[in-house]
Amino acid sequence: MMERRYNVLADEWVMISAFTQQRPTNPTTSCPLCVGGDEFSRPYDLASFDNRFPSMKVDAPNVESENSLYKKARSNGKCEVVVYTVDHNSAMSLMPIHQIEKLIKMWADRYLELSLQPTMKYIFIFENRGSEVGATLSHPHGQLYAFPFLPKRIEAKVQSLAKYYDEHGRCAICDVVENEVSIRERLVYENESFIALVPFYARWPYEVHVYPKRHVSSLVELNNSERNLLSKVLKVVTMKYDLLFQQSFPYMMMLFQSPVNDIRYEHAFHFHIEFNPVKRDKNKIKWMASVETGTWAFINPKLPEEAAAELRSVEVII
Amino acid sequence: MSISQTIDLENFNDIDMKKIAGYRKEDGFELVVEIEKLHLGFKIKGYLKGYVDEVELFKFKRPDKLLVNNWQSWGPSKVTQKDFQLNFPRELIQKFGFSASIMPELYFDNLLSDYYVASECFFVGCLSSKVAHPYFQIDGDEVSVRLKYFGMNFDEWNETETIVILLDKPEVTLPYYADLVAKENVVNISDKRWVGWSSWYQYFVDFDYEKMCADLENARARGYDVFQIDDAWEVDIGDWTPNNKFPSLEKVAAKIKEYGYIPGIWLAPFSVSETSTLFMKHPDWLVKDGNGNPRVAYENWNKKIYALDTTVPQAVDWLTSLFEHLKDCGFEYFKIDFLFAAAIQGKRFENVTPVQAYIQGLNAIRQAVADSFVLGCGAPLLPSVGYVDGMRIGPDTAPYWDANGPDIGHPNAYYALRNVLTRWHINGIWWWNDPDCLMLRKVDTQLSDAQRELYTLVSLLLDNMIIQSDNLSYEIDDRLWTVVSEYRKYGKRKVLLSGIMSGQYNITSCGVDGCDLLSITDLEKCVFTYSKDSGDIKLEKTIEMQDDGRRFNYYNEND
Ligand SMILES: [Zn+2]
Ligand SMILES: [Zn+2]
Repeated sequence: MMERRYNVLADEWVMISAFTQQRPTNPTTSCPLCVGGDEFSRPYDLASFDNRFPSMKVDAPNVESENSLYKKARSNGKCEVVVYTVDHNSAMSLMPIHQIEKLIKMWADRYLELSLQPTMKYIFIFENRGSEVGATLSHPHGQLYAFPFLPKRIEAKVQSLAKYYDEHGRCAICDVVENEVSIRERLVYENESFIALVPFYARWPYEVHVYPKRHVSSLVELNNSERNLLSKVLKVVTMKYDLLFQQSFPYMMMLFQSPVNDIRYEHAFHFHIEFNPVKRDKNKIKWMASVETGTWAFINPKLPEEAAAELRSVEVII
Repeated sequence: MSISQTIDLENFNDIDMKKIAGYRKEDGFELVVEIEKLHLGFKIKGYLKGYVDEVELFKFKRPDKLLVNNWQSWGPSKVTQKDFQLNFPRELIQKFGFSASIMPELYFDNLLSDYYVASECFFVGCLSSKVAHPYFQIDGDEVSVRLKYFGMNFDEWNETETIVILLDKPEVTLPYYADLVAKENVVNISDKRWVGWSSWYQYFVDFDYEKMCADLENARARGYDVFQIDDAWEVDIGDWTPNNKFPSLEKVAAKIKEYGYIPGIWLAPFSVSETSTLFMKHPDWLVKDGNGNPRVAYENWNKKIYALDTTVPQAVDWLTSLFEHLKDCGFEYFKIDFLFAAAIQGKRFENVTPVQAYIQGLNAIRQAVADSFVLGCGAPLLPSVGYVDGMRIGPDTAPYWDANGPDIGHPNAYYALRNVLTRWHINGIWWWNDPDCLMLRKVDTQLSDAQRELYTLVSLLLDNMIIQSDNLSYEIDDRLWTVVSEYRKYGKRKVLLSGIMSGQYNITSCGVDGCDLLSITDLEKCVFTYSKDSGDIKLEKTIEMQDDGRRFNYYNEND
C-alpha cells in the first residue's frame, strides 16, 4: 500500500507506506552500505540510490479518492539514500572538507535532476544521525525525499518568507543575516560567505542554522568557492557538536531550498540548513512530545544566546 | 469605449487599485471588475455580459522605459523609450500581413505591446489568452490595458482573462509572471532535453535526401538526440507529401533512426498556399474576409498564403490524420511553423474569436501526436502555453549579424539573440525556449568567431534548446561544440538574467559544476565577458539499474 491521504482537519497530506513496516530496525549484521554489503558489491566514492523501502515512488500506483471527504493522491515522489563516503567509520565531522565538497556537488545534481520531472514539487535533503533520531545505520549517509506536493512546514516557510517580502520589500533571512553579523551574540561560526548561528527563534536547545550571506534560493546557486566555504561550515558545526559533550552527537540536519517547478518565491526564499539536535545535555534528550507534536509550539529549555556561547567556545581546527 | 481610470504604478498607492474595481455599464455590455491581493501585487479579473468588441480595463502612466512584447515568436521583445517610433517599412506591410500583429489595423500606426509590459519597478501582464487577445496601447503618456474580443456576444456573465500588476524589478517580476501563467494554464514542462540538428540554416530549401544522408553519416560522432529535416521536403504549403527530392516519409524516418536519432520534420500546418491542391479542393476550409473570399494571411515563398479554418470539423479531421500519419511514418519531433495563420481575424465556420480558433487547431495537433515533441514557431505566444514542448522566441537567426537592420522579425542573428535575452524568463516554465539554430561552421557564414561564441554561450547559459544547423562536412568550431557537450552533460540549470532595461545583460547560470557568469556590455558590437566557474572537483556520474528496478547514481572523482 502506497498512497497519500488528505487530512481535512489539518489541510495536510499523509503518506501511507505500509512497506516501511518491513524495514529492519537496527540491523546487527553487516552494514548494507559497506562494500560487500547488501547495496554495494564494489568500491565507490559517493552514491545516491533508490531506497529499498521507499514511502514514495515515481511509478507509484494510481489511486482514486473515496469521496470528497476522503481524498487520496498518488505518492509519485522519490526516496533516495545518499551515501557520503565508502568509509564506514567516518561522519560529517570526520570527513575531509574535500569529501563534503563532493557531497555538495552530488546534492546539486540530485536537486537539478529530480526537478526536471514536472511532478516534483519539493526536494528535501536531510540526515538523521544517531539512534536517538531513528537512524538505523551508522554508515555516514543522509537521505532525500522528492515530494510531489509541498509539505506543510515548507508551505509555512514559503508563505511567511513571501509575507515578509511583501511587507518589507526584502528577504527575511537576508535581514536576519545582516542583523546577526552585527550583534554577533548568537553566532557560532562565520566565514566570508556563511554564518552558523543559534537562531533567535531556536526550537531545540542546541539548534544551529546555516545561512549563506548572499541571497540564493538553492545550493545550486552557490559558486565553487562558496561550496568550499559551505563544506567548512558543515564540518565545523558537526565537529563542535561532537566535542560539546565529547560524544557522537545525534542530530537531524535538513536542507531547505526553494520549491522546484515553481519559481514564484525564489526572491523571498533564502536557502538555509537547520541542525535540530535532540540533546539538551550530555545524558538528556529533548523529546518531541505532546505540545510540540500536537500544537507545533515548541518549548526550548535553553536560552539560544547561551547555547551559542557554549558552541562558540568549543574550539575546532579544520 | 468609455472612460476608465488612469493609475500611477511608479508611485503606487492602494487606493488607486480600488478605483479600478467595481461595476461599469459600457456601450453594448456590462462589466464588473474585481481586485484580489497577490504576492508582489494584485490580480484583476473582470466579468462581462453583452456584445463586446474590446474592453479597456484601466490605464496607467507611461514610464520612461518600457519593455514591450510582440504577440508571436518572431516579433520584437525590447525596451522602448518615450521617443520610440515603429517606422515599419510601408512596402512590407502587405507581405507581413498578420505576422506582425493580430490587429494589423492598429499595429502599424501605433505602439502596442501584446500580453505584458514591464518597467524598472512594475509589471503588468495577462495570465492567459484563451478567448481574448490581451494587449497594451501606448499613447503619449498613458498605457491602456485592453482585452480584444473581436466582437463576441455573451448572453451570460463571462469571466475575462486575469491581469496581474506586480510591483518589483524585472528580474523578479518576469520569472514570477511566467510561473503564474504556467500555473494558470496547467503546464507540464517536457523532460525531453534534446540536442539536435536541423537542415534549415545550411541548406534552406536547397535540401534533398542525398544531402540528408551525407550529414547523417557525418553526424556519427555528434551524439544528437534529434535529426530534423526542415522546409524543402514537401510538394507545396498545404500539400504535405514528399516532393521528388525525397523518397517516402517512412524511408526518411527509417534512415534517420538507423543512426540512432529521433526523426524530426518541419511543416506549416495552418498555412495553405495559393498554388496548393488543398487550396483548389477545399476553399471552404479557409478563413474568409467580409465578402466571403479566402483571406490572405501573409505572403511567403513568393506566394499568397491563406489560413486554415481550424473550426471546420473536416479541416480538423484532415489536420489530425496528417499528424497521425507523420507519427506513423516514424516522426516524433514536429517543428510546426507559421502558426499565427490560424489566429488571423476573419469569418470562420464557428463563431469564435481568432484566439479560440487557434487553440482548437493547436489542440488537435497536440492530441494527434500525443507525447511526441512539438516545437512551435511563428506562433502567438500566450495561447500556445500548455500545448507545445518547445517554442521559438525570436526572429529567424541568420549567418549574419546586422545591428542596423530593421527590427521587424526579419532573419538576423543580432535581433534573434536580443529576443533570446529579453524573453529568457519564460524558458523552462512555459516550454523550452528555442533560441534558433546554432551555426558552428567556420566557413560559408559571415558570423565572426565572437558572434558565434556569444550566440552559443547565451543559448547554453540560459538553458535553451540546442539545435545545430551546419553542413557537417564543413570545418566546424569544435571548441564550441565541446562547450555544448559539457553544458549538456547534466540536467536543468538555474538561471538569472538582470539588466534587461539597460541592455547591459548579466547572466548567472548555475549547474552542478558551478555558477558561470556572462556579461554582455554591448550586444550590438558583441562585447562580452564570460567567466566559467570550474572549481577543482570533477565528479563523474554513472547510472546503474539494479535487477529490482532501483536506480543507483555513482559519483566518482575524476582526477
Ligand atoms: Zn558501512
Ligand atoms: Zn535572502
